Amino acid sequence: MSDSAPVRTFADVEFGEELPAFTPDVTMPTVRRFTDAAHMSWARFNDHEEARKQGLPGAIVPGIMSQGILAAMVNNWAPGCRIVKIDTIFRAALVVDSAPKCTGVVTDMDEEARRVEIDLTIANEAGETRVLGTAVVEL
Amino acid sequence: MDIDIQELKDGWCGRQFDEVSFELDVREMLEFAIACGETQPRFTDPEHPDFQAVPSYASRFHGRRAMPEDFPIKSHQGFDAGKCVEVHAPMRPGDKIVARSEIHDIYTKTGRSGDMLFIVHRMRFTNQDDELVSIVDWRLVQNRVSRRAPGEGGP
Repeated sequence: MSDSAPVRTFADVEFGEELPAFTPDVTMPTVRRFTDAAHMSWARFNDHEEARKQGLPGAIVPGIMSQGILAAMVNNWAPGCRIVKIDTIFRAALVVDSAPKCTGVVTDMDEEARRVEIDLTIANEAGETRVLGTAVVEL
Repeated sequence: MDIDIQELKDGWCGRQFDEVSFELDVREMLEFAIACGETQPRFTDPEHPDFQAVPSYASRFHGRRAMPEDFPIKSHQGFDAGKCVEVHAPMRPGDKIVARSEIHDIYTKTGRSGDMLFIVHRMRFTNQDDELVSIVDWRLVQNRVSRRAPGEGGP
């Protein structure tokens, strides 16, 4: 995406607006790329077999990667925005090599501060919410 | 575990117990952003005039210890329930960051399996100009605690 992507302003946003569905890449090569950058190259994130030995359903996506994915969804929806705060709850494990979906919906708008609040989720293929959160975004 | 929450709060909250420093690496910032699916050049192009770390980047840093020395609850006794990042200013390549840790809050919530104890570990990140760039709150949860009133005896 280039800087010529249209900037979303506060006036462009509607209360209750849904962000475009976002399908993040949580394949093993991408998760390893993340954990290498974040110095988190541990078996529970990078090796399905070892993760199962630890009682997990398989290698899991690091919580802070899920948080980064949700931030990316917001930034892709509103190029040029400023994320002021992002709060995420890691409810359950998100498995590497699965096909999760991210959603977001605008739940509050502050015209004076030109800020919106967005409810965020990441759900697995079964539609079960694995990560949820909120972001406060300045437009 | 029998715990006096108020006693814990009074004794531990707001006291800095750790300080670490590090320099931001451009390759790590870039790889982190791309792996998360960022597409905007200010996060994915180091030549961009406004190149900076993604908003949640401070979440990846840890101190030398998760809890103060002698704190009665160890971090390995709980699980990571989530992280909240407040973004105050951009983090840029080469920035020299200092992160200071404290216990910010301690509280309980009642769930289906009983009381859960939440410990909020806060890291404040400042840059080489002593400018606050980010605050990260990490919530550690421990299941099945029992509360006791202040002054009540316990094991």
